[in-house]
Amino acid sequence: MTLLDPRTRLALGIMGIAAVMIAADPATLVVEFGAILVSLHLLNLGRPWVHSLRLSVPMFVLVFLVATVSLSPGDATVLSLRLINLLSVSFLLFHAISAEEMGDALRKLGVPYELAFILTTAMRYVPLIGQKIRSIIDAQTSRGIDLTLRLKNLGNLAALLMPLLVQSFLLSEHLAIAMESRGFGRKGRSMRREYRLRIWEYGLMAGAFCLLLALAWWERGGSM
Amino acid sequence: MIQVQDLRYRYPDTGWVLEGVNLVVNRGEYLAILGANGSGKSTLAYLLNGLIPHFFGGTLEGAVFVDGINTRDCPVSDLVTRVGLVLQNADAQLFSSTVEQEIVFGLESLGMPRKDIERRLGEITEALHLEHLLARSPMTLSGGEKRLVAIGSVLSLDPSVLVLDEPYADLDWEATARVRRSLKDLHVDGKTLVVVEQRLERVLGEGVRCLVVGHGRIRFDGPSKEAAGASPGERLVPCYPERGRQDQSAEPLLAVRDLSYRIGQQQVLKGVTLDIRVGETVALVGRNGSGKTTLIKHFNGLLRPTAGTVTFQGRKVRPRHMAAQVGLSFQNPNDQFFRYRVRDELEEGPRRLGKLEPDWFQEICDLFDLHGLLDRSPYRLSEGEKKRIAVASILTVRPPLLVLDEPTVGQDGRLREALAVLLTKLTERGCTTVIATHDLEFAQAVAERWIVLHDGRVVADGSPEELRRDERVLRLGALGRLTDNGLAIAPALHEEGCDAA
Repeated sequence: MTLLDPRTRLALGIMGIAAVMIAADPATLVVEFGAILVSLHLLNLGRPWVHSLRLSVPMFVLVFLVATVSLSPGDATVLSLRLINLLSVSFLLFHAISAEEMGDALRKLGVPYELAFILTTAMRYVPLIGQKIRSIIDAQTSRGIDLTLRLKNLGNLAALLMPLLVQSFLLSEHLAIAMESRGFGRKGRSMRREYRLRIWEYGLMAGAFCLLLALAWWERGGSM
Repeated sequence: MIQVQDLRYRYPDTGWVLEGVNLVVNRGEYLAILGANGSGKSTLAYLLNGLIPHFFGGTLEGAVFVDGINTRDCPVSDLVTRVGLVLQNADAQLFSSTVEQEIVFGLESLGMPRKDIERRLGEITEALHLEHLLARSPMTLSGGEKRLVAIGSVLSLDPSVLVLDEPYADLDWEATARVRRSLKDLHVDGKTLVVVEQRLERVLGEGVRCLVVGHGRIRFDGPSKEAAGASPGERLVPCYPERGRQDQSAEPLLAVRDLSYRIGQQQVLKGVTLDIRVGETVALVGRNGSGKTTLIKHFNGLLRPTAGTVTFQGRKVRPRHMAAQVGLSFQNPNDQFFRYRVRDELEEGPRRLGKLEPDWFQEICDLFDLHGLLDRSPYRLSEGEKKRIAVASILTVRPPLLVLDEPTVGQDGRLREALAVLLTKLTERGCTTVIATHDLEFAQAVAERWIVLHDGRVVADGSPEELRRDERVLRLGALGRLTDNGLAIAPALHEEGCDAA
């Protein structure tokens, strides 16, 4: 995957997400799911993917139940499968491109550096916030406040959200100080890595785009 | 090189934080700025690289000159090549996905060409011995490694002066020694260093000039070895009370048998067996990463053992049902505050567990001197007050066993003293306490029994006086030698400081 320029990886990822959003036919979603599984196997990401999906199981169950009640079991299946595909493609994208590569790709595409930095830093801080949440849950559980994922614990959420909010503000202030102290915002920033899109990468993106158009055409019943 | 003239400063919503500060830092000097929490020492550091007034705003009177440039007239981004600031919070300072990216971030900010970036990257990694870490994510590093990468990320800009805000905070003796060695090398190479620190023993033996700040004013300016005696009020070396008399019984309160715990492929605990008896105060000591926090999380069922058992009063520990029996207070008090008043925060646990006893609540308020704080917001308290509230909120539940995780991290000498006094009182009342810490001086002051954890195993169990001389444990690296971190000089300073106090 690192053979590809980050812009190619980003474009393929975005087209993958679009393909999932366009698909409405259960058969198409199943084919997409198969393609995702093959990609996960080739990139040796099967185990972390299963782990990440395990955390989303309550959300899948909730979507399935709500859609079954308000729509139909068939629609609920399509919606749930689409959600799984969407999260899986996003998982693939974020594993195929590091925060810096994402930032560099966006800068090369003309996005202002400040905006690209905000996006990449958000990516970088997700695991840190995850650690914070774990620490808060441990601290509150230790004094009898149950924060396990149950309906009866909804009223306890303030015990998680308030400390998380306060500490996130503190973290963002410290981050701003650290960036300021290392010259963030100076004009004329350079880029250490050199990126070059090769002809075959243009071909790859064009091929993927054609497939996306064909899928859209197919989903609309053969008319555009 | 740096000149501070008649300086007076206050943040937008506070009183004067610094007043009447005059200071000259010469080229190649090693200056330690010492002081208690809230004394104004970090504020002084922010003034040196222009974060004050440009980032924080507030009211600034007087002037700070760096190489003849008034920091008021120069943006922070233009001062980065003159004064580099390493923050205390390494997690906030390290925001890139690899160590390599972290080091080159500042160089890219300067607009440096690729060839020069590569050359500078090579120089920094060689100087700080970071070669093997370059491809790793900063989040996966140990505390000492994180600190060195943070130093490297600022040093890459080649500033004339390097300012470090509490570079040894939350590091154990081994990591502290590593960072100290790197700083010493930088100083020998001619770098001007300004180290902001709470603990005098960490800047001893460097031939450093010491500046003691108290209540916003400079109280002492001279050699570090004279600092403790010259400013006893600042408690640069804490005067711990006599250890509390322990009225322990042979009856085990908590029993751990062959406990093992694994995260993924990593074996964190390996066959731990120990007993905590009723009425004793035990220190669980060991380096960062030795498994202390993982072990105490088994005491109240936050973690389930991969193998082995934990029993409390003869019964197996059950997850989420132990808050009334085992009170566990973690390192960061901010992890638990969510009420608007201290009183509500203190009553939260006992109310939920149906154990609110007004007499005991009053007793805890007396013991921790909390009556004046009950109607205040916990967010607006000082760090020391927050720590007291955090421990008190666990004790209001009246658990038979109190467990404290690294209670002295980020605490100045006065607060460590106060904490030791509280623990002594609790010991005398028959409370059973376990303290997980790498602060060996504090552990020695409060606990008669140490359990030494190293690489996930219990390697020794005994009195601190015996264990600190145990060659086997010392050779293993499970405990720090008294010669580490200037501690050999510390006892003399301790006596001198306490006598003066």
